[in-house]
Order: sequence, then structure tokens, then C-alpha cells
Amino acid sequence: MKPKLYAVGVAGVLAGAGAAWLAAHQPSGRPTEPGALLTLLVGASLLGSGIAAWRARPENRLGLVMVLTGFAWFAAELVEARAPWLNTIGLAVQSVWIIGLVYLLLSFPSGRLPGRLDRAVVIGGLALGLGLQLVAMLYGNKTGLHCPGCANNLLQVVHDNEKAKAWIGLQHLIAIPFIGAVVVLLIRRWLRASSVQRRAVAPVLVAGCATLVALVVTVILDLFGDPLGALPANLYFTLMATVPIAVLVVFLQRRLARGMVAGLVVELGAPGDAASSDLRGALARALGDPSLELAFWFAAEGCYVDGDGGVVRLPDPDSRRRSTLVERDGQPIAALIHDPVLEHNAELVHSVCAAASLALENERLQAELRARVVELRASRARLVEATDAERRRIERDLHDGTQQRLVSIAMSLGLLESKLPGEAKGARPLVRETREALTVALAELRELTHGINPPLLTERGLPAALDELCRRAALPAHLDLALDRRLPDRIESAAYFVVSEALTNAAKHSHGSEVRVCASGNAGTLIVEVADDGIGGATTTGGSGLRGLADRVEALGGRITVSSPPGRGTTLRAEIPCG
Amino acid sequence: MRVAVADDAVILREGLSRLLEEAGFEVVGLAADGDALLELVERTRPDVAIVDIRMPPTHTDEGLQAAKIIRRRWPDVGLLVLSQHVNARYALELLSDGTDGVGYLLKERVSDLDELSSSVNRVGNGGSVLDPAVVDELVGRRRNADSPLEHLTDREREVLALMAEGRSNRAIAERLFVTDNTVEKHVKSIFGSLCLPPSPDDHRRVLAVVTFLNS
Repeated sequence: MKPKLYAVGVAGVLAGAGAAWLAAHQPSGRPTEPGALLTLLVGASLLGSGIAAWRARPENRLGLVMVLTGFAWFAAELVEARAPWLNTIGLAVQSVWIIGLVYLLLSFPSGRLPGRLDRAVVIGGLALGLGLQLVAMLYGNKTGLHCPGCANNLLQVVHDNEKAKAWIGLQHLIAIPFIGAVVVLLIRRWLRASSVQRRAVAPVLVAGCATLVALVVTVILDLFGDPLGALPANLYFTLMATVPIAVLVVFLQRRLARGMVAGLVVELGAPGDAASSDLRGALARALGDPSLELAFWFAAEGCYVDGDGGVVRLPDPDSRRRSTLVERDGQPIAALIHDPVLEHNAELVHSVCAAASLALENERLQAELRARVVELRASRARLVEATDAERRRIERDLHDGTQQRLVSIAMSLGLLESKLPGEAKGARPLVRETREALTVALAELRELTHGINPPLLTERGLPAALDELCRRAALPAHLDLALDRRLPDRIESAAYFVVSEALTNAAKHSHGSEVRVCASGNAGTLIVEVADDGIGGATTTGGSGLRGLADRVEALGGRITVSSPPGRGTTLRAEIPCG
Repeated sequence: MRVAVADDAVILREGLSRLLEEAGFEVVGLAADGDALLELVERTRPDVAIVDIRMPPTHTDEGLQAAKIIRRRWPDVGLLVLSQHVNARYALELLSDGTDGVGYLLKERVSDLDELSSSVNRVGNGGSVLDPAVVDELVGRRRNADSPLEHLTDREREVLALMAEGRSNRAIAERLFVTDNTVEKHVKSIFGSLCLPPSPDDHRRVLAVVTFLNS
């Protein structure tokens, strides 16, 4: 323990002894004041817990706040002192400990006042508790300040008993709604807090609110001449003593939580894949934050990804979540996305991160792999879409350009043919021949464009296009359709070409007599099936056409299966997810 | 005979219009899309409207939709739908509303002046025209061995295809270099084999034949 804290402790003991002596020898003889024991208990609780908290968490201001509040608490007993200057100090700081309590409650657990409203409340409290007190003391004599047996107050300028009483009365009247407002503020904060935050602040908030309520009740009863005697004051003194203890309990709980880190190390070191399968769970338990999320650094893309490889955005600093980055050898590995309350316990978070860094690195490598797979899948799907778009563009260009131009040439030839005079021997048949050759070329071009992108598929969708495909099939083909809506182009296109290829294969290799084509869409999956009654025995490896189609279907997240038992026909089945 | 032409490609509308005039038809107006065609038909009431299937704004089957509207509003206007693709489905959709004065042809088919002239005349006179490529697809469709079509002779299949194209007995006879009587005999035999009720009317039998082929 540092010498500074020893000094504070010694000063506290002296202050406590003095205050207890004064409380025991009250010259004021106020019957409603709690005795020396309770006074000592509250002060000791504040100073003791304050010193302990200060030692445990030096960076947190709350230890200091509690120590100061403890001294203010003892100083308030100075009103009983006989020396006028001591009495003056005692009178002046009568209510300062309440402001300390309010600050403590509003700033818990960080020790900093989170909002402008909180700061305004504390400043208002100072004006009320210290400012009005000093104003009252300008007029105050002993009786005016409820202190009949006290020494003279050095600040007294005018002797006006009534005015002093009025100022003190005003102070008490304002104090009632003021403290009520603080309680409302705390309750509102409680309601808005996350479950982790609630758990962290509960003991302090409950003890603090109870103290404030008891204090208000005491002040109100005081206005009516203390019908219950010393009971309410005793009650709020007792409750007040519990507040610093509650603060200390919460702080120590966190220290206990640090013990969990050891458990974490054991858990992560356990054989088998139990650790990696629930790294997040283990970390969440160690940190006491069930909402904890893990994000892993994906160096290739310079972003964070989740365990499945999906991109994760770290929360903004002003959002309701916080992130802590984990590094290893200077390289980022992962980020913990957690409740803001963990920020006040940075040491715990850091020790947990250190303990888990190897496991996190492991997990990161896996996540990176998955992210690459996700990326690859997306790029494959983009390729398929680009190919489809390109097919459609080529077909449209041929239709609007070359085909039209050739047709118009055929028309011109037709016109020329009829305009040729009868005597142009040999020219007419030549023109006709040319025109007919052009017609053949057009028919070939038509077949070609049809193969590139069947117009009916774009214009009328998959059912119509499959119907057309079955009409044109080289084997009698029966079509069963159970599709009730248009699907995205890439899916319809893939299904179409699967059926087209399967029909071609059936005609070429199956030696069957007919084919059955089924297409159905349910539960977000399009299923197309082409089954022939041929000899079977087909292999999936044969035929680059089928391999290409399988690639295409897999790029869309689907799969193709071929079942072809010898002698029992071949069934090709494609399943394509369609959202 | 008065004809309206709709095609979004200028070279094709102009080319077609020149061919029609060469063949002795009166071209009452040209349109570049479905809406313009409807307006043109309402204004000029032509005997025949020649419509390209793929037109703006959707570039899918605009022309077919316009043709269906014309069919409903002005049933006496003959319709000859042109396509760059062999699309049996569109042809059948068109015929399903009644085969009188309806035709479906591939675009290059009309470059033959005789073919154009005979098709426009047939449609204008309430007959039907179905492109040979479409008929090929219907007739050539693979069927099970027990289909009655499988039992027709080659000659009968030829006659069946020509019937489906919308040709009259006389035209079939000319095409096949046989007498009208021979054609009539073939037709009777075909209708018997396919168990279709005999239909002496050249116009109406197209639907029966096409319906059978499509089943």
C-alpha cells in the first residue's frame, strides 16, 4: 500500500475519533440526531471502502470521491465543536456529503459523470447544499441554524434569526424535489441499461436510491416536527453506510471475475475441439457478457469477418456497443464486440484477450478461410450473372443488328427479283438462289441465337421455355410443371440449360423411348428433374457440358445429382436455391 | 387490299412497304410500336395489319399483345404476325382466339414476293397462314409409338403439314403436282386416321389440325 493511502487512513482514523467524540458530547443536544456509533459507522464505511477502492482501481475516481465524502461526513460533526472556527466549518459543510453521494451514484461505475444533465445536477446540488447554507449563515445564530448549544458562527454578518430560518427552510424545500429528481434520473438510467450493465450497478444503485429516499422522508418529517423521532435519521444513516460497501463489493466482484481468466486458460487448453467450437461462449462467460460477439481480422480484404466469413462492421464509438481489438505480434487478430460496461474493466478484458489470443488466432485462420470461400462463391455467382447478361446482350445485338440487316437484304432481293425484266435471262433464278441461300443463312443464325439465349425464356419465363424445349426434344418428352412465379433470371437460365443439356444427353446416350421433365419450386428451392427410361449407367464425369452446368448450378449455391443405375434409366436432378 | 405495317426497325418497315406496293397492295400507314399500330388501325381500318412481334418498349412480345387487342376490337382486320424466331407457342396463342384472318410467318419468308402476296391475300380473305418452320416443329415433334401420327404415310404427312400451313386443297394440289381429287382423298384418309370430324371448309380445318398436332 502506498504511503499516501496510509496517510489518508491515519487522517481518517483521527477525523473519525474526533467526530465520534463530538457526537457523544453533543452540546447542541438535538434529540433526533443518531448517536456517535452510527456516525462513526457511516464515516468509516466511506473512508474504508474509499481507500480499498482507491487501492484496487487507482485510475477510477470513485475511491477518492468516497474518501472525500467520508471526510465531509465527519466534518459535519464539527458543528458540535466549541471553537467558533470549527463550528463555522461544520455548519458550512453540513450537506456536502449528500453531494458526494449524488456524484457517486450518478458517476458509477466509471467515476465520470456521463452526461451534461448529470453535471448540471451535481452543480445544482453544490449551489443548494453549500451555497444556500453559506447564505443562511450570513444571518444565522445558533437557534436559527438549529444549533442552540453551538458556538458562534464566524460568517454571521447580521443577526436575524427569522431570515436564517427562512433560508434553511428554503434549502430543505428545494432539496425534496431535487433528491426526488436524482432518484428518477437513476431509475431512468436503470431502465435503459443492458442486462450486463444492470447486473454491474445493481447493488450500488439499490443502496443509493434507498438512502436518498430515506433522506427525503427524513427531511419531510423534519418539516412536521419529527413525529417519528430519531428513527428515520437512524434508517438513512444505516443505509448510507451500505452504499460504499456496495461500491466495494462491485469492485471486488470484478477482481473475482479476473480469476475466471485462469479458468478460461484451462478451458481453452482442454483437448478436443470443445474450446474452438465455443470460443465465444468461453469468452462470454469469462467476461460476464452474454452478448459478446467475436470478429476476426481478414487481412486480404482489410476488414473484420464473423465465424462464417460474413463481413462485420465494428460499432461506432458513440453506439450502444464497444469493441476491443486483440493483437498478436503487432498484427490484429480479432475484435471483441461487447457491452460498454466492460470498458470500465479494461484490465479484465485485456487479460482475457491475452489468455485467448492463441485460440483467437486459430479461429481467425478458420474464419479467414470461410471468408475466402464466401468471397469465391460470390465471385462465381457474379461470373454466372455476367455470362448470362452477356448472352442476352449478344442475342439482342444479333436480333437488332445482323438478323434485321440480312432480312432487309432478302427483301431487297425479293424486290429486285420481281422488278427484273423478263428478258434478263438467267438473272432471275440467280437472284432467287441468292435469296434462298440468305434464308438458309438466316435459319442457321436463328438456331445459333436461340442456343445463346432462347428468347422465350426472357420473354415468358421458365415454364414456357421448358415447354418449348420439350416440344423440340428429340425424344418424346413429358413435362410436369409446378411453378407459380417467375424466378430470378440467373436461376431460370441455369435450370433451362440443365434441362436442355439433359434432354440432349438422353437423346444421344440413353437409348430410351421417352423422357419425363419435372420442374417444381417449393420452400425456396427450384428442383428440376429429367428422367429417361434408357439403359442407365451414365457417369457424371463424362461430358464437359454437364460439368459446366454443374459448375453453374453450384455457383448459384445449388447442386446437381445424377442417378443412373444400369438398366433403370438416368435421372438428373438439379436443386437451386431461389430465396 | 389495304395494309398497315408495324415494325420498330426502319429498314424492315420500309422494305416491307416497298415489297407490298410492288405486289399491288395499298400501304395505308407504318407504325414503329404497338400503340402507334393501334392508333393506325383505328384511323385507317386496313384489311390486313402486318405486325412484328418484338417491339418497344419491352422488346418482348409487344406485337403479339397489340395483335390480340386488334383481334378483340376490330375482328374484321386480318393479322399477319412476323417473327425472327420460330415460336410455336406464340403462333398457337394467336390461333387459339380463332384462325380466321390470322397468320404467323418468319420475317425472311416475306422476302418472296409470291409468298407475301399469297399470305396477305389469304389473311385478308379470312384464311390462316402458319409458317412452315412452325408446322415442321409441330409435325416433327417426337411422339410415342402409339400416336396415330406415326401411322400416316409420308405423303399424308406432307399434306397434313400443308393443311396446317393454312393452304387450300387447290394450293396443296398445285404444290404437290397432283389433282384436287387426290388431295381430297388424302385429306379424308388423314382425318379418318386422326379421328377428326370431317371438315370441308379449308379455313376451319387449320384449327382442328393444329390442335391435334399440339396435343
